[in-house]
Amino acid sequence: MEHSSIPSTQPTAIEKVIAFIDERVGLKQMQAKMLNEPVPGGSRWAYVFGSVLLFIFIMQALTGILLMFYYVPTADHAYASTQYIIHEVDYGWFLLSYHFWGSTAMVVCVFAHMSQVFLWGAYKKPREMIWLVGLALFGIVMGFGFTGYLLPWDQRAYWATTVGVEIMDKTPVLGDFMARFLKGGATPGQMTLSRFFVIHVMILPAALMGLAGLHLFLFRAAGPAGPFRGTPEEIKAKTDYFFPRQIWKDIVGMAVVFASICALAFWEPVVLLEEATPDPGDYHPEPEWYFLFLFQLLRLKIFAGEFGQFLGAIALPGAFMALLAALPFIDKDPERNIFKRPIALIGWIVVMVAILLFTVSAIINREFLD
Amino acid sequence: MTDERESMSPTKIGLGVLWPAFWTALPIKLAFVLVFLAMGIMQFEGRIGLAFLMLLASPVTIFALPTISMGLESHIGEGVGIALLFLISIPIDIWALGVVGRTFFLEKFRKEPPDGLGLTLWWKSALVGAIFLPILWFIVSTVTSTSISMAHSFFELEMFKGIPVAERISIELTIWGSIATAVLLLLLLIGVSLVGRMIRGTASGASPATDNYQGLIKRWDLMRVPADQGLMLAGVTGAGVVLSLLFWAALPVTTPHPHECCKQPEVKVQPPYKPLDALNKDEKMIVQLTAQLEAIEKRKAEEAEKNKGKGKAKDGHEAAPPAAKKP
Repeated sequence: MEHSSIPSTQPTAIEKVIAFIDERVGLKQMQAKMLNEPVPGGSRWAYVFGSVLLFIFIMQALTGILLMFYYVPTADHAYASTQYIIHEVDYGWFLLSYHFWGSTAMVVCVFAHMSQVFLWGAYKKPREMIWLVGLALFGIVMGFGFTGYLLPWDQRAYWATTVGVEIMDKTPVLGDFMARFLKGGATPGQMTLSRFFVIHVMILPAALMGLAGLHLFLFRAAGPAGPFRGTPEEIKAKTDYFFPRQIWKDIVGMAVVFASICALAFWEPVVLLEEATPDPGDYHPEPEWYFLFLFQLLRLKIFAGEFGQFLGAIALPGAFMALLAALPFIDKDPERNIFKRPIALIGWIVVMVAILLFTVSAIINREFLD
Repeated sequence: MTDERESMSPTKIGLGVLWPAFWTALPIKLAFVLVFLAMGIMQFEGRIGLAFLMLLASPVTIFALPTISMGLESHIGEGVGIALLFLISIPIDIWALGVVGRTFFLEKFRKEPPDGLGLTLWWKSALVGAIFLPILWFIVSTVTSTSISMAHSFFELEMFKGIPVAERISIELTIWGSIATAVLLLLLLIGVSLVGRMIRGTASGASPATDNYQGLIKRWDLMRVPADQGLMLAGVTGAGVVLSLLFWAALPVTTPHPHECCKQPEVKVQPPYKPLDALNKDEKMIVQLTAQLEAIEKRKAEEAEKNKGKGKAKDGHEAAPPAAKKP
């Protein structure tokens, strides 16, 4: 028997398991591909929103699954089971409040992510497909908010949905069908709740997972756009791999978002109103905060009447979304610096100010209704 | 390049240091905020965004916030957690300003960062904040309230009374919002520029760095990488585990009640109309009233019967005497 003079290092159990899996699925190659992506110009805080969105979605899925253990999606029991979660289930109030504020965080981060991509000019060639899939993901996030809002089955939920479905009804050709399909009857009831529940917990998550995967695949295929400013030498000097610095920034971003959602859950835990009925009583129906600007816009006299409502609720938002979808094909100028794209910069500011203005106006408007 | 560095505006310098320093310190402070909230030793009032910014945007707010709270009667919350957070914020901010300041000095000024830079930048920015922020707060509050009343009185004029409510709200908001935002932004720029001037003053005494650009980037990049990464990782993980355990141990099992100072306005909705319940209630009432009516009618009928009987008896009694008088 020969004894080697070199000290032999026996692999540990974990190393053996990793080697076993690596041999079969190419784990190390996958890890290298995922972590060694070069980030032109180095890591930045502005790039964290995509990862943060993925984190929020995972947390929403986790809290959503835990809530489903107790939630009963029937018109008779939805309200009572939600109250049970809030008042009887251990930490139920926290789970529900986290899920509620998590949806808000998701909308805020989607807006931030889209704004960052727009301002950085990262939708331009060769990243048009990433932008289009991103827009579809934006629609899905809004869909999550809209369908999830009905589930507690209180007055706020019921009337927000009623208002939302009425707005949808104004869409030409498809509107009537969509409204009838979602409501499942003349007024929101059991069928509405069932359909919203299925869309919220099955269809939208599946669609989001598929499209998010495609979004990531397209992103990796095209590569990160990098900063819009700086000389090629500066960008080259600062270029870094995705791991560890960008990963560290992403983790910090996730921690900040997690802590902020928890703080909001403490500051304003979810409290239900009266159980849903077809009579609003003293409650003034209004949608979730991220649709408030549109709701307030429809209160303006210019959007009064059948045609006005169609114009404000469907035509304008539809045209805006169509413009966003067509953006990479209209704006073919390779210039990415936002300070050298005045129309884009002014357009973004106008949209943001309008959304802020009408959202705050809707909040002030409550005083007049009360 | 040298000219560009020398002509860098104080606002740019101030933003270049304060912005990343804020984000560097924020995650650590937020972890403590979360534990304090779970423990119920920190309560915020309505303006949470403001409270958070004021608390977390230190060092410039570290002395300014107590001044504003006491001097301008602006109450943001209660609890020992707020004071505790302020104390914890001091070393965190000194560290964050040190990290950011050193990289900024090397990359932007191309100067060797002096020793104790974090502490120097911290006390100077805290001093600027303590003097400037209460002034900013007072001016912005006054301008906002004046512009709100001005916009209101504008729409009280006869010629504008016909404007619908929704339009009126948006126009009023645009008027006073623009004025208040413009004043706020202007004052913020002045404040940031003051901090920038202070940083430039500190940099003027520093010795120039001799490395080339690539070398400088490598230096400031490595400055942010800890010397002992294993120790750093173990420390961060350990702190995370302790804070998570503290959080879960302190997290209330049921919905926490808001503190007396910071109760949310209760949303009261009139009990909704339930047709079936109302119908049942009405039917019960009708049955009850019918029964009552029947009872009254019955009693009246009996009384009438009695009266009739009595009357007959009386008549008989009264009639009797004549009969009795009969021979």
